[in-house]
Amino acid sequence: MAGGKAPINVKSRLLKFGLFLFAWALILCGRLIQLQIVQHGVWTQRALRQQQRTVDISPQRGVIYDRNGQELAMTVQVDSVFAVPSEIPDPANTVAMLASILDEEPQAMLARIQAQKNFAWVARKVDPDIADRIRSLNLRGIYFQKELKRFYPKRTLAAQVLGYVGMEDVGLAGIEHLYQDQLNGQPGKLVITMDARRKWFGHVEHPPDPGDNVVLTIDEKIQYIVEKELAQAMEETHAVSGTVVVQNTRTGEILALANAPTFNPNNSHDITPDKLKNHAVSDVYEPGSVFKTVTFSSAFDEGVARPEEIINCDPGYVLIGGIKIHDSHHIGTVTLEKAYAESSDVGAVRMALRLGPERFYKHMQAFGFGQSTNIELPGETRGLVRPPARWAVSSIGSMSIGQEVGVTPLQIVSMMSSVANDGIYSPPRIVASVTPPGQGYRRIEYRPQNQRRVLSSMTSAVMRRLTEEVVLEGTARRAILDGYSSAGKTGTAQKIDPKTHAYSKTDYVASFVGFTPVNNPAITIAVILDSPKGLHQGGQVSAPVFKRVAEQVLSYLGVPHDVEPKVNYARRQLVAHAAESDTEDTTEHQGSVVLDLEQPAASPQAAAQAAPGRTAPSLPQAAAQASQPLRGTLLPAVDARGGTVVLENGGHSTVPSLLGLSMRGAIEAAHKAGYEVQVVGSGLAREQQPPPGTYLPPGSKIAVRFAR
Amino acid sequence: MNRYVHFRDFDWLLLIFVLIICGLGVSEIYSATLGTKFIGMHVKQVEWITAGIVLMFVISLINYQVLLEFVPWMYALSIFSLVSVLVFGKKYLGARRWIDFKLFHFQPSEWIKLVLILTMAKYFAEYRDNDLPFRELVKAGLVVMFPMLLVLKQPDLGTALTYVPIAVMALFLGGMRARHGIILLLVAAVLMPAVWKWGLKPYQKERLSTFVAPEADSHGAGYQVIQSQVAVGSGGIWGKGLAKGTQTQGQFLPVPHTDFIFAAWSEEHGFVGAFFVLLLYFGVLMRLIHDAQTAPDRAGVFLIMGVVAVLAFHVLVNVGMVVGFMPVTGIPLPLMSYGGSSILFTFLSLGIVMNVRMRRYVN
Repeated sequence: MAGGKAPINVKSRLLKFGLFLFAWALILCGRLIQLQIVQHGVWTQRALRQQQRTVDISPQRGVIYDRNGQELAMTVQVDSVFAVPSEIPDPANTVAMLASILDEEPQAMLARIQAQKNFAWVARKVDPDIADRIRSLNLRGIYFQKELKRFYPKRTLAAQVLGYVGMEDVGLAGIEHLYQDQLNGQPGKLVITMDARRKWFGHVEHPPDPGDNVVLTIDEKIQYIVEKELAQAMEETHAVSGTVVVQNTRTGEILALANAPTFNPNNSHDITPDKLKNHAVSDVYEPGSVFKTVTFSSAFDEGVARPEEIINCDPGYVLIGGIKIHDSHHIGTVTLEKAYAESSDVGAVRMALRLGPERFYKHMQAFGFGQSTNIELPGETRGLVRPPARWAVSSIGSMSIGQEVGVTPLQIVSMMSSVANDGIYSPPRIVASVTPPGQGYRRIEYRPQNQRRVLSSMTSAVMRRLTEEVVLEGTARRAILDGYSSAGKTGTAQKIDPKTHAYSKTDYVASFVGFTPVNNPAITIAVILDSPKGLHQGGQVSAPVFKRVAEQVLSYLGVPHDVEPKVNYARRQLVAHAAESDTEDTTEHQGSVVLDLEQPAASPQAAAQAAPGRTAPSLPQAAAQASQPLRGTLLPAVDARGGTVVLENGGHSTVPSLLGLSMRGAIEAAHKAGYEVQVVGSGLAREQQPPPGTYLPPGSKIAVRFAR
Repeated sequence: MNRYVHFRDFDWLLLIFVLIICGLGVSEIYSATLGTKFIGMHVKQVEWITAGIVLMFVISLINYQVLLEFVPWMYALSIFSLVSVLVFGKKYLGARRWIDFKLFHFQPSEWIKLVLILTMAKYFAEYRDNDLPFRELVKAGLVVMFPMLLVLKQPDLGTALTYVPIAVMALFLGGMRARHGIILLLVAAVLMPAVWKWGLKPYQKERLSTFVAPEADSHGAGYQVIQSQVAVGSGGIWGKGLAKGTQTQGQFLPVPHTDFIFAAWSEEHGFVGAFFVLLLYFGVLMRLIHDAQTAPDRAGVFLIMGVVAVLAFHVLVNVGMVVGFMPVTGIPLPLMSYGGSSILFTFLSLGIVMNVRMRRYVN
């Protein structure tokens, strides 16, 4: 070609372009140095952050045990199903299959899953069989994750006490709520790192700290008995709601606390506020006649009245502050014992008037009314007891018969326990201990705290006799037990109609609060039924529940009979006889106990304990055998038979805890408290009988087992 | 004249550089597609490269002077095909870029780059003055502008942009005055807001705005820009090793075997590897400029430099994008990125370079 080489101008421009390229290359290299060398650390950190995910590992929630170590609430591993939506080849089809298994709306599920790209929960904490069915479909993009689920193996048992947890294991009611921090533990940290092969490796950076366990004073078996009987009562009486509380009379421990209606904490979507309500602690109701126990015992304790005193209840009503308070039936001139047993309103008003507002109020406070019991349950109410300054003229009369005061079932059962337990008030408790995670269940060594004297021993003994008469010849004959003596007080309180603010003519709270056996009480039971239909008297509907519960519980606890077990003709005669002569009743009843002891072989318990070959053990021996507690910690110490001892021994004191002490220390501590020690073994004190906190006359022996 | 044409004059050194780059590309495609649905792409890439080499040799045999004779026909055919695409083209992801010929998809916009290089060479071979008046500048510019507007209509901004360096290079070598260059830049600057307002699709605007401030949307559109820099930066001096790059393998890095192959390479081979590749590209371009200097005629210079312009533009824009200097435009790295069109085009243009070089001693 003629043109030959390119013109000079082009060559110089090629050179310029070469320089331009060189400059660009230098700038790029500079940038690479900046990114890869200077800022290397920064970018590496960012890369690591992308490759690492920190996930909280939920800690294992602590177990809730009953007093014998039965698990009431525990944590199990279950499957949760999640989807990686971007991996699902045919979302509509996949979701349709899942929705049919999970019984969900496919459209909603599809929308929920497609809203996410990398992760969406399909169903959390599903049942094993559902998880298996989904697994068997082998769907692409559907994965399983083990999660911890709260599980209540006994289903509805003690539901209001235990409460329940939400999806994230946060306690939403009951013990689960109140002990959330202890039960929950500390979540751990899992760092998931992805390697270059797109494999994720988790390594636990900080393991979760499992939650503490909670040991309740509830006894699973007793709770079961109580719930069964309460359910039956609900069915028979068509009450709106009901609650039954069983308390260890001596220590204040709650052995059972049942509510109806109830729920299954495993199905949290089934829970409604009315089922969730723990009536025993959160219901405030007017106790009615049960409260006369407070009125009468206070009067006796203050010395303003004596049980044998004759009182004239004519004309069958009393006028106070312009209000006429009627007896339900006219009883005429009777002893105070009789007036109490017949639940005379006039008698109660007279007692309260003799006490005067200040002393009456002081006693109500001493019994714990109007104050929180500080039981370890959420939602407890204090009740309502106004100070005398705010009383109307008629208030003292209303209060004496259990109106114008608001109490909780728990306060009522504690009041009755104080009356039964030698006049000592033991605050009700439902949590025995909180144990560290590794330890699991620990045997209860329950030491009652903050006990206080409410009544003198003498008053207590009198009240035990009076309350027994209520059962034997008063309003609560349906509470007569087979094989045990029992005592208590009925109450039938009209409910206040929320519309008219007047007392309802149709709705009543029927209650019975009692304890058994009378002279050595093991358990106190409150049965409260709200608005029973048809029969509505406490003695008619609540006392039978008391009877059924008490008989089964006493038998389960192995409490020795103090009455001829079979309700035979002789027993009926005795009871009938007692009804005729109230003053003789106590002695007659004592007689029946003696009768029991005189024929130890007749009692199955005694027969079982009697060594073979020995036909008739001597009486004291049989008594000792019969009174040997079968379940140590549950049973109050059994001293010599019968209430006579109690009457003679006003100055009881509590058994100190000798546990953990050396032999010398234990003996010294026991002596200081006025007791003898019966030594078994050597080393440190491991067990003692009776347990700490039991009331025992000074000079008695405490059996202590020592071990190394 | 064919007598003097011999493969001895083939630029073997250039070919060695090119093949090294291709080899590195294949190894990185292998690494980046491990465990993904693209696994095994490196084998296909080898096939494309093989086809490209054959094409290169074939093209180098046809005298470029003959090719230049056909320029008017080729240009007309290009315009025709672009119009056909707009009319009959297969719509895919909102753009008409292909004609479906049943056997294969034909995307004319790629091949028009080559036609434009030839057209510019022909234009400036005939225009022999060293000074380029404004009228001529505009004429030459319009020759490129016309197909470019048709491609923009598809719309395919990325490919249309690759036509710009062809025109700029030709005008620059053709003797464009500095004054005119400044005027053009000013006009572009004035037109910019109008283009922004009416000319760009929302996704294109998004790309540009996230280029300016990628952290503002680090999970959305800014994701690619940031991920690329994370991959490069975390590579360090020596890199994490082949198939050991966490960002590449973990699929944090988007399309690591095509547009972001340089980021994947930089992560796994560090600054040393990245610098080596840049050096190779620099070598290739310098070797091409050297070939241009030894070209037998003005047309040859313009042909080779047209190829240089396209290749340099791709490399600079792609690497610039990887290190965060440029917005994400979808321009692949020639020779390294996976893709048949890109590989075939690159070898085809290298074939034209060889063509010119082999005839450098021909009078």
